Amino acid sequence: MDFKKLWHKQEADNMPDIKILHKRADNIKRGTRIKLIFENAVLLAISALIIYVGYNIPHALPTTKIGTALMVISMLMYLFVYNRLIPVLFKTNFAISTHEYLEQLISIKRREDFLNRVIVNIYFVLLIIGVGLYFVQFVHNLLGGILMYGLTFSCLLFAWFYIQPITVKRRQKPLMETIAKLEELNRQLENGE
Amino acid sequence: MVFDDIYKTYWNKVFRICMGYVNDHDWAKDIAQETFVTIWQQLPKFRHEAAIGTWIFRIASNHCLRQIERQNRMPRTEMPEQVEQHVEQSKEPQVQFLYKCIAELPETDRIIISLELEDIKQAEIAKIVGLSESNIRVKVHRIKEKLAKKFEGYEH
Repeated sequence: MDFKKLWHKQEADNMPDIKILHKRADNIKRGTRIKLIFENAVLLAISALIIYVGYNIPHALPTTKIGTALMVISMLMYLFVYNRLIPVLFKTNFAISTHEYLEQLISIKRREDFLNRVIVNIYFVLLIIGVGLYFVQFVHNLLGGILMYGLTFSCLLFAWFYIQPITVKRRQKPLMETIAKLEELNRQLENGE
Repeated sequence: MVFDDIYKTYWNKVFRICMGYVNDHDWAKDIAQETFVTIWQQLPKFRHEAAIGTWIFRIASNHCLRQIERQNRMPRTEMPEQVEQHVEQSKEPQVQFLYKCIAELPETDRIIISLELEDIKQAEIAKIVGLSESNIRVKVHRIKEKLAKKFEGYEH
C-alpha cells in the first residue's frame, strides 16, 4: 500500500485570506493585553485605596500600619506572581522540538498549578492577618469587636475555604488532566510506548 | 523567504499534518491558521539556525500537541467557527481511512508518521521531534506496520 500517495490525495482547504490571519493575531494580542491590564488595574487600585485610608488615619496605631502593609503586600505578591506567569503562558516558544516543547508546557502548567494552590493560600493568610491587625484600633468594646471580627473573618474564611476551593477545583481539573496527558506524551516519545 | 511565499508553499503541507493529527477538516484548518499566525509573528526572529522547513514543521507539530489543552478546556462544539466555505473531506474512501487510522494513533506517532508521509527526511523529522534519527527510523517502521495491518483488515 502506497501510503504516501494516499496521503497526498487529501484535499487541502483553500488558503484563508492573509488578512484573516492578521486579524486573528491582533485579536489574540489585544485579548491578552486587556485581561492583563484589567486584573492589574483592579488590584493596584484596591492597594492604593488601602494605603491611602490606612496611612491617613489620625493617630494610627502600629497595628493599623502593619495591617495595611500586610494587606498591600498580599495583593502585590499575587500580582507579581501572576504577571510573571502570564507572559510565559502567552509567549510559548513553538519553534523548539516537540520533546522540548512538551517539557516547556509541563513546566508552565506546573507553575500555574503552584499559583492556584500555594500562592493563593499565602495571599489569604497575609490578607487575614493584615485585616485582623488593621481592625485592632477600631475595636472599642467586646460586642463591637466580636461583630467586626466575626463578620469580616466570616467573609474572608468563606471566600478562602468555600469559594476559592470551588474556583481552584474548576481550574485544577482540566489543568491536572493536561499535565497528566503531557507527561504521557513525553513518555510516548522517550519510551516508544 | 517572505511570509507570503512561506504561506503559499507550506499551507497544504501544514494543513495535511494537522488533518493527520485531528482528522477533522475545520479543526485542522483552525490549527493550520494558528500555525501561520505564529509563523507570521515569529518570522522576524527566525535566525536560520535550522532549515526554514524544520522551523515551520516544529511550529505546526507543537500547535497540534497544544490541542490537548484545548480539548480539556472546552468541548469540541464550542471551538471557533470558521467563516470560510467548507470543503468536503476527501471522497476517496482509502484516503479517508488512512487519515482516520493516523488520527487514532498515539499523539506523537501521528506527528512522526504525518511528517514521514509528507516526504520530510528522517534526519529532519528527528530535529523536529527532538529524538535521534535511529529512534525515528524504528518508530516510522513500527507505525507503518500498524497502518498496514489496519489496511489488511479494511480490504478483506
